Amino acid sequence: MPLAESKFLASQDELEVNQEALERRQKKEPSKTKHKITLRPFYCKGCGLCVDICPTGTLLLQTNKRTRWGVTAIKAAPDYCIGCKMCEHRCPDFAIFIDYEADEEQERALEARKDHE
Amino acid sequence: MRDYEKYIRYETFPNPWCPGCGDGIILKATAMAFAELELDPNDIIVVAGIGCSGRMPTFFKTNTLHTTHGRALTYATGIKLAQPDKLVVVISGDGDALAIGGNHLIHAARRNIGINLILINNGVYGMTGGQASPLTPQLFHTGTTPYGNIEPRFDTADLLIAAKVSFVARETVNRPFPLKEVIKKALLHKGFSVVEAISNCHVNLGSKNKMKTALSMTKWIAGKTVTKAEYAEMSDEEKRQKYPVGVLKQEDERLEYTEIYHNVVRAAVEEQRRAEGRAQ
Amino acid sequence: MSKRRALQGNAIVVKAAIAAGCDFYAGYPISPSSEITVYMSRELPKLERVFIQMEDEIASIGACIGASLAGRKAMTATSGPGFSLMQENLGFAVMAEVPLVIVNAMRGGPSTGLPTKPSQADMMQMRWGTHGDHPIIALYPAFPEEIYYETIRAFNLAEKFWNPVILILDECIAKAHEDIEIPEIEDIYSDRMKKHDIRDLNIYERHFGESPPRIDFFQGYPIHIDGLEHDAHGWPTSSPEVTDRMQRLRMEKITNALDEIIEYKEYFMEDAEIMVYSFGISARSALAAVHLAREQGIKAGLFQALTIWPFPDDVLRKRFERIKKVLTVEMNMGQMVFEVERVACRGEEKRALLRASGVPFTPDEVLAKIEEF
Repeated sequence: MPLAESKFLASQDELEVNQEALERRQKKEPSKTKHKITLRPFYCKGCGLCVDICPTGTLLLQTNKRTRWGVTAIKAAPDYCIGCKMCEHRCPDFAIFIDYEADEEQERALEARKDHE
Repeated sequence: MRDYEKYIRYETFPNPWCPGCGDGIILKATAMAFAELELDPNDIIVVAGIGCSGRMPTFFKTNTLHTTHGRALTYATGIKLAQPDKLVVVISGDGDALAIGGNHLIHAARRNIGINLILINNGVYGMTGGQASPLTPQLFHTGTTPYGNIEPRFDTADLLIAAKVSFVARETVNRPFPLKEVIKKALLHKGFSVVEAISNCHVNLGSKNKMKTALSMTKWIAGKTVTKAEYAEMSDEEKRQKYPVGVLKQEDERLEYTEIYHNVVRAAVEEQRRAEGRAQ
Repeated sequence: MSKRRALQGNAIVVKAAIAAGCDFYAGYPISPSSEITVYMSRELPKLERVFIQMEDEIASIGACIGASLAGRKAMTATSGPGFSLMQENLGFAVMAEVPLVIVNAMRGGPSTGLPTKPSQADMMQMRWGTHGDHPIIALYPAFPEEIYYETIRAFNLAEKFWNPVILILDECIAKAHEDIEIPEIEDIYSDRMKKHDIRDLNIYERHFGESPPRIDFFQGYPIHIDGLEHDAHGWPTSSPEVTDRMQRLRMEKITNALDEIIEYKEYFMEDAEIMVYSFGISARSALAAVHLAREQGIKAGLFQALTIWPFPDDVLRKRFERIKKVLTVEMNMGQMVFEVERVACRGEEKRALLRASGVPFTPDEVLAKIEEF
């Protein structure tokens, strides 16, 4: 699949949203209860809405040449996740879940289907 | 698997919307609302018209219908009358609800027919590249207003209240929790309900108005969002710039259209029986 | 008790539609079909069926399509200006393969035209009014009993072929009160009661020439119906192969069943040397003219089309093997005559009696044209 350049996020904005997330994280401590962050990079368009809304700066955007959009969210500091699920509520693409019971087979099937046109 | 994923048709994923588009957030909030109300997907139908919002039915794993531009409410009216006990959800964009479909909107409100409309207000005709809509803020630049939009926008809630709607609420895609809650309230409302969801089209509207990223546009929307109480204190000039959120009108006592029609049927059947009795 | 009574053309349509099982009507008043909407508003509630007057014709056909998709036998009635408005949604009904009956009581056009005068100038619009390649069925009764039979047939064809069917009435026939004996009809078709084996939600897949195994909403399958070009599941596609296949599937379900769809009546045709092709009110004048011609020893015959679209190519071609003179009689400036002359392409003598002034032809006028041969 050809890698299109993500023209909707100039790298300057990516840096800005990451910067703000890091600043928020610096004011926090790792969470007492641990939460599981499940990502579906094959659906993630790297829009940054989850990174922006996470109150503890757990998520960051990162270049990802394996996806069509070239950028995905990553769980940069999973220990800081407080399980508020704001990211899951805000993700338009069903690409992030908190404390999710993922079915391995289903996740593989979804990933495989994504490339089928 | 989450309970709301039961209402999602992953066979048609990934969705075609731009990264950060509010449409996906509204899709999720609606699916979450269905899940929290524990609705049977076989008893739900999602109908939409044309536009980016019009692609939404494709992703719901319920009965779904993608109709002609502006006419979703008319098809939905036929469906509701044909099967009054089903949940009929209509998803519309600016044009479908307020331009080409404007007439059908006010009649649906007037009739109080049991359809739940989710009106996605992103201030532009996104699918066709970013032309002005009846909801585009004044002075904005769009494809068809290169010198700045001279037309004032509708206030959807005012329009609907004038058309005697029995439920109208507004939320934004910045506030996914309240959005989901208000959609739930709307789905439980028996008559015609409208949830206007303010959304961001940063690619085709924001980009022409110095907001080319999802985050910059959602921040702009946040700046325009006020509570009902704050809105009530504002001058007319200030009001034109803001979007009050929350449930703006709710009338639970009004009878829904198919209920009233059922009464008509009963009366007609009764009259027919009496007429036949007289004839014998 | 005799069932013979005087009924208005519009009233006959209503009676027949109810007998055919029509249980949803959405309409908007327009001359000369307003009575259909009025009578339906009165009769349907008595039978616990659904009536609604919508805000315009576009909403009317939209509501009918919605109801049809939700399992009802739906009908609407209109005339020229309203029919023009309905074109977009009519195309949707063809694309999504939705059973639907649309009554078009034709009046003088174009535009507002002659609301209270007959004309036959919408023939091509019925075939090609909506954009895109699409099949359509259009039926055209002329006599009161025919109105009853053709209305029932319209519903049966719509259900069988999952396509909109247009039922055409002339303004003067819709409005006139004529003697009719209401027939008893048992043969009402409905496919929707049959259980379909919908595997993998393939609601549009079938062999060429067949109708789709489409089911309605709320049957327990999460189906998707779309006006966009779609694959067998109904999901949107723009693939050239799928598009080509779907276009041909939709077209061939009609073109493959012409024997079932095409109906006509022939008068004095066994030994005719001159064939008159006509329909509707013009056919009634032409029938009287053919009688008069025979009295004078002219061997004229009438081919009255009951099915206007699809056009009866093969049937007429067979007639033209023997008959070499054809007269088309229609109240317009030339529409069906082009179809007739397309088929009569081997040196037949062709004439046309055309007029678009809002006045039907008299039998003498038709006879005079027959005598010209």
